[in-house]
Amino acid sequence: MRNITKRYGQVVACSSVDLALEAGRIHGVLGENGAGKSTLMKVLIGLAIPDAGQVLIAGRPVVIADPIAAAELGVGMVHQHFSLVEPLTVWENVALGGVGSLAPGEVRDRVGDRSRHYGIDIEPDAIVADLPAGLRQRVEIVKCLRRDPKIVVFDEPTSVLTPGESEQLFEALRRVVDEEGRAVALVSHKLDEILHATDDVTIMRQGAVVDRRPTAEADAAGLARAMVGRDVSLRSERVALGIVAGDEPVAESSETPAEPVLAIHDVIHRTPDGRALLSGLSLAVGPGEIVGVAGVEGNGQRALGDLLSSLLPVDSGHVRVDAADVPCGRAGAMQDAGIAVVPEDRHDSGVVLDMTVAENLFLADLARVARGGVIDGRRLREQAQALIDRFGISCQGPDAPLWPLSGGNQQRVVLARELAHDPKVLVAAQPTRGLDVGAIEYMSEQLQAAAAAGVAVLLISTELEEIMELSHRVAVISRGAIVGEMPRADVDLERLGLLMGGMAEATP
Amino acid sequence: MTDVAEEREVEIDTKRAARSQASARRAAIIEVVVLYAVCIAAALVLAAILVAATGGSWRDVFSALLDGSIRRPGRWGLTLGTALPLLLVALGTIVNARAGLVNIGQEGQLLIGAACATYVGVRLGGPGPVVIVALLLAGVLGGAVWAGIAGALRYWRGVPEVLSTLLLVTVAANAGGYGLKNPSLLLAPAAGRANRNQVSEQLADDTRLPRITVFGNEFPISVLLGIALAGAVAFVLARTVPGFRLRMLGRNPRTAQRAGVSATRYGMGAMLISGGFAGLAGAAMLAGGDFGNYQLVPGFSVNIGWTGLLVALVARERAVAAISVAFVFASLRTGSGFLAATGVERRITDVVQALLVLALLIPPAVIYIRSRRRALAASKDRV
Amino acid sequence: MEAIWDVLSSEVTYSSAVRFAALLLFAACGEWVAERAGTLNISVEGMILAGAFAAAVGYDRFGGSVAAGLVAGCLAGVLIASVQANMSHRLPADQFVVGLTLNILVLGLGGFLDAELDPTTQRGATTDIPLLSELPLLGPALFAQPWPLYLVYPLVPLVWWLPFRTRWGLEVRAAGEYPNAADVSGLMVNQRRREAIYLAGLTSGLGGGYLVLGAIGAFEDSIVGGRGFIAIAAVIFGGWTLRGTVAGCVLFGAVVSFRLSLPQQGYDSLNTELLSALPYLVTILGMALFAHRIRPPAALARPFLRGLK
Repeated sequence: MRNITKRYGQVVACSSVDLALEAGRIHGVLGENGAGKSTLMKVLIGLAIPDAGQVLIAGRPVVIADPIAAAELGVGMVHQHFSLVEPLTVWENVALGGVGSLAPGEVRDRVGDRSRHYGIDIEPDAIVADLPAGLRQRVEIVKCLRRDPKIVVFDEPTSVLTPGESEQLFEALRRVVDEEGRAVALVSHKLDEILHATDDVTIMRQGAVVDRRPTAEADAAGLARAMVGRDVSLRSERVALGIVAGDEPVAESSETPAEPVLAIHDVIHRTPDGRALLSGLSLAVGPGEIVGVAGVEGNGQRALGDLLSSLLPVDSGHVRVDAADVPCGRAGAMQDAGIAVVPEDRHDSGVVLDMTVAENLFLADLARVARGGVIDGRRLREQAQALIDRFGISCQGPDAPLWPLSGGNQQRVVLARELAHDPKVLVAAQPTRGLDVGAIEYMSEQLQAAAAAGVAVLLISTELEEIMELSHRVAVISRGAIVGEMPRADVDLERLGLLMGGMAEATP
Repeated sequence: MTDVAEEREVEIDTKRAARSQASARRAAIIEVVVLYAVCIAAALVLAAILVAATGGSWRDVFSALLDGSIRRPGRWGLTLGTALPLLLVALGTIVNARAGLVNIGQEGQLLIGAACATYVGVRLGGPGPVVIVALLLAGVLGGAVWAGIAGALRYWRGVPEVLSTLLLVTVAANAGGYGLKNPSLLLAPAAGRANRNQVSEQLADDTRLPRITVFGNEFPISVLLGIALAGAVAFVLARTVPGFRLRMLGRNPRTAQRAGVSATRYGMGAMLISGGFAGLAGAAMLAGGDFGNYQLVPGFSVNIGWTGLLVALVARERAVAAISVAFVFASLRTGSGFLAATGVERRITDVVQALLVLALLIPPAVIYIRSRRRALAASKDRV
Repeated sequence: MEAIWDVLSSEVTYSSAVRFAALLLFAACGEWVAERAGTLNISVEGMILAGAFAAAVGYDRFGGSVAAGLVAGCLAGVLIASVQANMSHRLPADQFVVGLTLNILVLGLGGFLDAELDPTTQRGATTDIPLLSELPLLGPALFAQPWPLYLVYPLVPLVWWLPFRTRWGLEVRAAGEYPNAADVSGLMVNQRRREAIYLAGLTSGLGGGYLVLGAIGAFEDSIVGGRGFIAIAAVIFGGWTLRGTVAGCVLFGAVVSFRLSLPQQGYDSLNTELLSALPYLVTILGMALFAHRIRPPAALARPFLRGLK
């Protein structure tokens, strides 16, 4: 790819980027969130048209107008959030995106054949919705490789895998490259991964390439410096860079916590078709402590977040704040009990995009700016401005609509609103997903400050680095229940990985 | 560079930036206006072609419409009286639309409201004003309950309200018909009705809505009530806490639930209010005098419910805009009364109405696409 | 009680039940595919009506050819469908609003043009299929009907084959369940949705043609009378499976026929209004009982705009 430039309105996502992928080598594309790597890959896969520059395959310039054209040219991508349609079967998903008449028998055979080849076991007629994340990724890989691409892009593949599964993935990648001579691009924001699994690395920062070298010649510090543009000194940056904190002690971990502020006991929630989203989850968080819930995506984190957001009723079990029962599933109950939530997907349940910043800041607490049922516009604006200043939200004013704000700023709005009235519990679900280093730093600081002020903080994250960096205590969630807990200082990464993969006993 | 010169440069730059921003805004506004003009013109041209193709003269048609709606003496009073129930139905629709619900059964809710109002109006004894208020309230209640059935079906049985409200319209028509066959319900006693018609008793003189005359045009005072209600709805939606919560529910029900807005409570409330407005419209039609002779007849609702729904759509769910849109649609109705002379089939106004609505759906859709594209461009994150 | 036995043992009951069910089925087949694609088209009512009117005109203008009428009906249905499809799935205009307005438009146009053009039609003669039409009770009902009705028999399996055995169908289903994943896989989500709506228009228009030329015989603007909505309800009632949809159409068709044949058997003292409302009440009841337990296509009635969740 040569000189690729892509603009979205005023923002330059990629600027004169050059990238060269060679057959038989794994090429890492490293950069923090927002550096432009996703956009670059979108150009390659046909989901974005560059404003300038060209793509050459085997020396010939090509035009990639859409994913089908990309597939025809031999480019395939294993997506981060999967391109699988859940209610369909494995073979139907694998067939999706191809051309020509449908030949179920042939596709089924192919699936069976490929899965044996890569040493994995997938039933062609299984329904994707029933498969765990690790298997789904394999279906995604089979789907991608079915079309025999010469170039394969893996987009942040390890966010849904346990450390053990990540190893297996890298081995599979190595096989793909060595035995089949394909060119593989591994896109990631995690330094460790890149150092471990790639042959060459291109580092991007703020839309441009800042360095390119064979991995053998690179070291962590150098890569980190290139990624961020300065010496890595702040600990919170390690979260962004995917470096799992070593054995340094965290800020004083609390001793056995006093009476827990938040107590979740044996909560079960089943969907109408019988699947258990939460299968007897129990957890307690004390004042001033940060409990990190680690786990591979899809093991109930979303349900846990929803539960604490008054969005999930329970079949049995209870949630207590300061020993008082909180009704689950009743609108606003959790919030009234003092539980603040920064949700996993702010667009889904955190903000109302079409409303203004001020309205979003006060949508849970209108009584503060209203009198006798009527909203006082002036008070709303004043108090909103106060919050905007206090939390450093970058926007055009309290009456500006929310949707144009950047992700980091929208997250600040959510945080501001939730923290504004001194909650007892703060739940942060995947709080730094999709944010750049600066925003991640800010979020980490806020979480630590809240804990220091005595708030019980529950951090739910699939990023182990984040958990390790911030938590006093680490819990592992697997298949809808907490399967293990330990103080941060006692964490054994290997055991953690096993717990996350659902393969260890609950108690040591 | 000296300080003064530097200052001047900065000034010029900011002015230039402001000017280019202003001209960009102007260009955007012009774009919008042109878009609307083109769409409306296209609809009218299509209608004119239709008229011409069937041998009529669109000039005559246009003139007749104007005559019937506002030009001839006394006509715009009639138009106002016709616009009133349209406005009321539209207001109710706006409330449920803002809550994110789809109610398309106003025609039925209106009918039930009118039937309840007839029952009360004819049977309740007492001073005139009391009966009037009572029958209006009965109308509100009837319509609210009818819409409430669909609401309950949605919130307790998962039935999409777009279908249940629709199906209930036919049920309402049949219920009304049944009522009109039954002397114990709505049918007028044999002595009071002409021939063997299935009509209800007429409202007594003092139980009819008083009419006022302005510049020689007569209309019922309910028109003023309607305008006041439009202002009230606009205010409540925009500036009060319950209105805010309702809007939150419509925009993002999950965020609303987190923030304490129970979808069931607010949603049901919205459905009841929506039906209540439609029912009020029915009662107002009965007691107003512009729709027949103060009595319930078969087919009483004459598509006011459907048209009121369209008014809300065209008014883009804005209560105050609904006032003028209701008037325009009412003009088409009253104007069509004069079409017989031109030899063009009355139905053409229904067609014009529908074409206009379709045409008016296009500009907002186009604008929305463009603004979302721009928003995506402006936001840096692409998860 | 006797009334019910009389009705159940009369051939006329079954005959008219099949006739009504067929109309519902023509429309419901296409709308089923459209809903599997994630769209909800209340303009089906308008599509049927447009098809009916066009069929009447086609029959009239082509010298009494039923086939010409049916073709005209199909085209008219597709025309209405294309307005719905392009306004709701190319432009983001609300599909309920567009659907409702289209119904009103077609109603007005139909009435207007009917007065102006005044086509004359007649009800088609029945075409008996030998042997099969002699089966007791059901024989004449299923096999001694005007021939346009027979078109529904091959239509149902065809409509089943499309989503489950063709690539097009696979893409349509993906578009209705997880349009985002489908989009990333390279599918053209909104195009598939539009195409599914065209199909609905085709079958509904055909149904309208059958209604005018096969079942009733003369056009008037109340000829559809809300049955398009019942067809949609049949799809929901059937849990978005084709089997369920067919069952729903048969059930609702039977209810309609019941209300007509009771008076015919001499029981006209029964409440006519209740009988008129019965199909709609049964439909509502059916949905109330079953809508809770079934799963719609995940993206049903949710417009797809790339880049937005």
